[in-house]
Amino acid sequence: MTTGLAAPAGVGAAAPPRRRAKRRQTLAGWAFLSPALVLFLLFVAGPFAFAIFLSVHSWDLLTPREYVGLANFRQLFSDPLLPKALLNTFLFALASVVTHVFGALLLALAVNRPMNRFVSYFTRSAVFFPYLLSWAAVALLWKYVLDPTFGLVAYYLDKIGIDAPNWFVDPSWSLAAIIGIDFWYTIGFTFVIMLAGLQTVPSELVEAARTDGANRWQVFWHVTVPMMSPVLFFAVIITFIGAFQIFDPIQIITGGGPDDATMTIVMFLYQTGFQAFQIGYASAIAILVFVVIMAVTGLQFLVARKWVYER
Amino acid sequence: MSLRVDVDANELLRPRERKRRRRRPGAIAFDVLILVIGLLMAAPLIWLFAASATEPGEAFTLPPKWLPTPFSTENYSRVLELMPFGRMALNSLIVAVISVGGSLLVAVLAAYAFSRLAFTGRNQVLVVLLSALMVPAQLTIIPVFVLMRNLNLVDTLTSLWLPALINVFAIFFLRQYFNSIPRELDEAARIDGAGHLWILFRMLVPLSGPALSALAILGFQASWNNYFGPLIFISSPEKMTLPLGLVTLQSGQGGAPAAVVFAAIAMVVAPVLVLFLAFQRNFVASVATAGLRG
Repeated sequence: MTTGLAAPAGVGAAAPPRRRAKRRQTLAGWAFLSPALVLFLLFVAGPFAFAIFLSVHSWDLLTPREYVGLANFRQLFSDPLLPKALLNTFLFALASVVTHVFGALLLALAVNRPMNRFVSYFTRSAVFFPYLLSWAAVALLWKYVLDPTFGLVAYYLDKIGIDAPNWFVDPSWSLAAIIGIDFWYTIGFTFVIMLAGLQTVPSELVEAARTDGANRWQVFWHVTVPMMSPVLFFAVIITFIGAFQIFDPIQIITGGGPDDATMTIVMFLYQTGFQAFQIGYASAIAILVFVVIMAVTGLQFLVARKWVYER
Repeated sequence: MSLRVDVDANELLRPRERKRRRRRPGAIAFDVLILVIGLLMAAPLIWLFAASATEPGEAFTLPPKWLPTPFSTENYSRVLELMPFGRMALNSLIVAVISVGGSLLVAVLAAYAFSRLAFTGRNQVLVVLLSALMVPAQLTIIPVFVLMRNLNLVDTLTSLWLPALINVFAIFFLRQYFNSIPRELDEAARIDGAGHLWILFRMLVPLSGPALSALAILGFQASWNNYFGPLIFISSPEKMTLPLGLVTLQSGQGGAPAAVVFAAIAMVVAPVLVLFLAFQRNFVASVATAGLRG
């Protein structure tokens, strides 16, 4: 990540002026960095340290803070809502990664061949466009699309003889509904990444494999997938990190219900911190979110060493 | 972590012209399948525009409306009565413009230091800054909220753009971009007596158009669509940005009728659709080359 730092400019002049030039560059360097550093301290590093500090305190924003040691963490690990929230969040993240990566790869392969230009253009645009909208617009729109009485989905499922569930009332369907909406909303991002990845597969390699008698399937598994593995890995990581923090549609549509069926870890954090104003407890949850994301991302990097092709 | 793919963005959505040749029936059936997928993706939006432009009482009758009959703009005028739509759009715009402009200015200065100035501690500072990419917004939001409360900035637009001024990804991305610009150029300028600011703003910045426009598009989109920040910081309707305003229209004070909410969603979606159709390749290129959110 930090490789390729260029050799410092201005090194190699004569001794005394060099020292002065160096001092002036150091001064200029810190001056140019100072706005970024001040903002970084104020909005990233400071809050990070303060979150750790808050997590060992009990505080409701109004009465004085009280040091409670690890009590917040003890309470968190015995909170019956935590396993539910973690399970829902992991289920959502897993479903999101699998559907996005496979869905986008299939779609990208499907449109990446000679075909009717209008169809190709229309479908590519229709797949990409929702990604530009806001969760607020998307979540509200889909709340109506999935409405059991006048929604699109219920009407057309009924036409083909399927009784649509009442998505946001039935606990066994509400998380699935959120997964589906998220797919519609963000598949365009993964799709564009996959299309870009397909462009990086050298066509000479594909042609060589075809001349050697490989069929389409073999070319896909032994040429396309290995050549695209860095892109696939990137898509997995990015989708996972985004999915793990899912919050907006849950807050907008279900509020975590019904019966905690869509309670995710960030929704849990929001309710604790900004509705119950248990600031210390919510900070403990925030630290757990951070640790889990770091751990899973680290694990993915370890696994990736085995199968990601380095160019 | 970043991924740079050198792509021809023009080709991502608009496939290149190919030689016409006789096509097998199987291929045509496949085209139809792809078209159906596209129509399914577009269906909720088509319904949105059709139903919202239908007479309020008829908007949600079955079968679902695919055309606005009987046509009416009443839902749209009701939106303007029930929410300060213009004010909210202006708020969104103010926050997005300041966030993008300010964060790019900060990032350009920092990237210059990292790319062109040699000083002790430079690499260490870069690593510390990059660690911010690992910190999720949920971890810092509570302390930032406490900070804004102490500064009396809760329920102001400032609370929305101020934390957005630090964009570590933009700093790193621009540093990489500056590193790809030959250093001989600045040395020549330096010999002619140019200072750091001249080199940065008269030479490097104009040469970094693609990187800056990609970052600007992504940043604008992130700010314009942000829901979490306004939800935490803003409570008065006249300070709200559009995403929070939309949700409040639907849920606040008994909630507006579904057809009116539909019209409001359509009013939010329509400008994005127009911009997308006009600047499609810029959107796609920014996603593909700087494809990393936040």
